[in-house]
Amino acid sequence: MTTDNLALFKALGAKMDYLNQNQRVISQNVSNADTPGYKAHELQKADFSDVLKRVTKTNQIHVERTVEGHMTPGGDIENPREKKSRHVYDVKPSMNAVDMEEQLVKAQGNIMDYNMMTNLYQKNISMIRMSLGQGQ
Amino acid sequence: MASELINAMAISAHGMKAQGSRIRVITENVANVDTTGDVPGADPYRRQQIMFKNVLDREMGAKMVEVDRIMEDRKTPFRLEYRPENPAADENGYVKMANVNSLLEMADMREAQRTYEANIGMMEQSRTMMLRTIDLLRV
Repeated sequence: MTTDNLALFKALGAKMDYLNQNQRVISQNVSNADTPGYKAHELQKADFSDVLKRVTKTNQIHVERTVEGHMTPGGDIENPREKKSRHVYDVKPSMNAVDMEEQLVKAQGNIMDYNMMTNLYQKNISMIRMSLGQGQ
Repeated sequence: MASELINAMAISAHGMKAQGSRIRVITENVANVDTTGDVPGADPYRRQQIMFKNVLDREMGAKMVEVDRIMEDRKTPFRLEYRPENPAADENGYVKMANVNSLLEMADMREAQRTYEANIGMMEQSRTMMLRTIDLLRV
């Protein structure tokens, strides 16, 4: 058994994946902060409470993929899509619409979420370990 | 999964490189603020401008910032200074001075510096996230 099969870990992994992608998008915005005509991008928010509900509350039997070529069973967490932000704080005369403060606040929120995810992951792992009789 | 973070760091590095080139151009302008021509009526140093553009990196699927071109500023007029002893002075004793405005260059330099720092900040954050992931191994 790997932790991949546990629904909770799957959801944690998906959220971490999302946060990684988000970090890339924010980096892209910050690095293009002086490019004329560039507009800040953002990831469409994936609704994780919904995802979590779906993966934890269903009692369905999951179809196991043993070969890469198998089709993915339904109920997978789809990738969030990247798009240009609709609401920007301001647009500079060079038509650049990246607000540095906004981006850095987003980055800070991102890293806090990420820390929360890794902490939850660790707590769950130690819980499993305790039930196996190897707890600290 | 972690490759997205590596991509994020590469994007930040590109941003830092672009701002570095910008600082080099500004330094060039400031250094040449007093460069005049050497024959009467000759044009002095012309201020340089840097343009950025974003380039889609298909492998990463991200828009990287790159230097588009460095071009001469042909719109700002040269200053005229009365310096009859200068070899570049015209018949009235006026010398064309470079069209560099030190104040403007300093402001530009500060902006480049701030953006550079912001990129470093993003890189440090990506690094912290990566380290947190590695820490999971130590449970």
